[in-house]
Amino acid sequence: MSEFRRQHPIAAVTQLFVVIRQNIVPFIIFVVLGSRNSGDYFWLIILIGAISTFILGIVSWYRFKFRVIDDELQINKGVLVRKKLYLSKDRIQVIDITEGLLQRMFGLVKVEIKTAGGGTEKATISAISRKEAIELRTLLRENNQVTEVMAEETSELEFQEESISNNPPKMWVLSNRDLFFAALTSGNFGVIASILGAVSGQLDQFITEENMDYVFGLLPGISQITVVLWSIAIILMISYILSFIGVILRYGDFKIEKKEKELQITSGLLERKQITVPFDRVQAFRFVEGVLRQPFGYGMLYVESAGFEQKENDRSIVLLPFVKRERLPSFLEDFMNEMPESGETIVPPKRALFRYMRQPNYLLLLAIPVLWLFWDWAWMLSLLVIPFTLFGWLEYKDARIKVARQTILMQYRNLARTTAIIKRNRVQVSDISMNPFQKRKELSTVSITAASGAGGKTFTVNDLDEKEAITLLHWPINAEQ
Amino acid sequence: MNLPENTENKLPAEPSKRIDENAIKAWKLSALLFGALIYVIPGLAYLIYKLDGDISMLYPIILGPVAIMLHCFMIFVLPKIRWKRWKYDVTDKGIDMQRGIIIKKRTIVPINRIQHVDTRQGPLYRKYGLSSISMSTAATTHEIPALNEERAVELREIISDLVRKVKEDV
Repeated sequence: MSEFRRQHPIAAVTQLFVVIRQNIVPFIIFVVLGSRNSGDYFWLIILIGAISTFILGIVSWYRFKFRVIDDELQINKGVLVRKKLYLSKDRIQVIDITEGLLQRMFGLVKVEIKTAGGGTEKATISAISRKEAIELRTLLRENNQVTEVMAEETSELEFQEESISNNPPKMWVLSNRDLFFAALTSGNFGVIASILGAVSGQLDQFITEENMDYVFGLLPGISQITVVLWSIAIILMISYILSFIGVILRYGDFKIEKKEKELQITSGLLERKQITVPFDRVQAFRFVEGVLRQPFGYGMLYVESAGFEQKENDRSIVLLPFVKRERLPSFLEDFMNEMPESGETIVPPKRALFRYMRQPNYLLLLAIPVLWLFWDWAWMLSLLVIPFTLFGWLEYKDARIKVARQTILMQYRNLARTTAIIKRNRVQVSDISMNPFQKRKELSTVSITAASGAGGKTFTVNDLDEKEAITLLHWPINAEQ
Repeated sequence: MNLPENTENKLPAEPSKRIDENAIKAWKLSALLFGALIYVIPGLAYLIYKLDGDISMLYPIILGPVAIMLHCFMIFVLPKIRWKRWKYDVTDKGIDMQRGIIIKKRTIVPINRIQHVDTRQGPLYRKYGLSSISMSTAATTHEIPALNEERAVELREIISDLVRKVKEDV
């Protein structure tokens, strides 16, 4: 690869899709508004826009050249401003290979090369053949070169045989049954409902009095309240279905392969994404048991890895989309080389129980008087005191910290139950805090922050005994025995 | 240069060192200047009353004294409490910081997690010969405010020496 190469010509088209995707909202508005109230000029503009984008795509494809020489990936690109990128081999942290829908049709892949350092640099080669991509990756990874090539060239069938003969296993696959249940129990629909809510806000102009009267005319004998309840139910239903499909598409055909120095995660039905997690960048693990999953003993395992992503959502990497809690220790041992440790468990003292139980009720204390202004029956909500108090009791039951020599386990509940395992030498900061009410009862809140992406992730357990909290505060810096 | 002691096998209930006492003066002055912004609220109320007459005269009459009281509180009470709470320790293991006016907060940054250390001095701090130290890790940034200028420079040096030593060991 010491000669400059170009990408597959289809990269010129992917460019077009990227431009459209980035400007999807103005694009739709433009098309909808334009087609309604203008004549031939509109189509002319669209045509000129399409052609110029396409030419731009071809020129940028022509200018984009890459090669590997002297332990360095060189990329020349740019239409108006010409850029030369040099990524040296030892600074490259992660090489991700993704198959988009379009690339797939032509048997191509997208390669993203990420470096860590002062800033975050990223180089993307958007369409090359799988063979080239693997060759590139092999060239850019010095030490585990041999294993990499071998792993890639064995077909999947042979691979499974290998994983049976090898001990411990080198590959983890999400079964279809687990995928189905993961989709069924994913709690994402809250998020999607809020998105739909925002969209329906945009539809305000259609929900005029006239239209509503027309609808009510069609459906005699239906009160406004019923309509509101039905709309809420329908929005929830749609978002639940969307969330179901989303999980299937994102985690379909999910598998993890263990390499010498890293894990490779491959997942996705429409868009296949490959993520590499180097072991030496792992900061912490986070196991989240959603409300719908916990009763069955299942949850989702994330890994916090230091380095690249600035966006909050992309920082944590999903390691296992759906797994039984009791299988975690053996997974962490087999795949992440994390030996289970025995340690001392610390739970909130009895005197903290009352604080835990009354805390969720503050929300009611605030919400009920406000709602009462608009709704005469708001006082009925005070019945919620019972489930809220029970929820507080659950939070108390679930709060715990287990300290061992090299790791700390922190478990707490917000709505879902989270269990975090943080490595001692990865702790960035430890905090305790005490408000006046806690002070009266000699209680403290303990937080531990690990690096995650380009920022940090903080794990917090409330209302522990003050003295134990001070011990925990010092745990990261205590002399190793 | 006094070398930081080793804290092995004892967990102090609180960090031991205080920040410079001039901090109170500097914070008082800063509260005097920036706290004056709250007069905008009664000022606006008065303006609306004068121009529109839409709101009762009571608003500016009540809000004015409230703002004065708040401002006095910010000048004469808060800086002192804040100074009293601020304690820190620097050892070869980590930086221990305690602060907070209502909520008492204590933070430990392990020494080998620190990426860089700076000193900072604004115009107000310069007037009182003060300087603050700021440290950043891969995830967070921390500050010890209002140290004596020379002490800040010395401490910055101590911390970066410790960081270098620990990193060499690894």
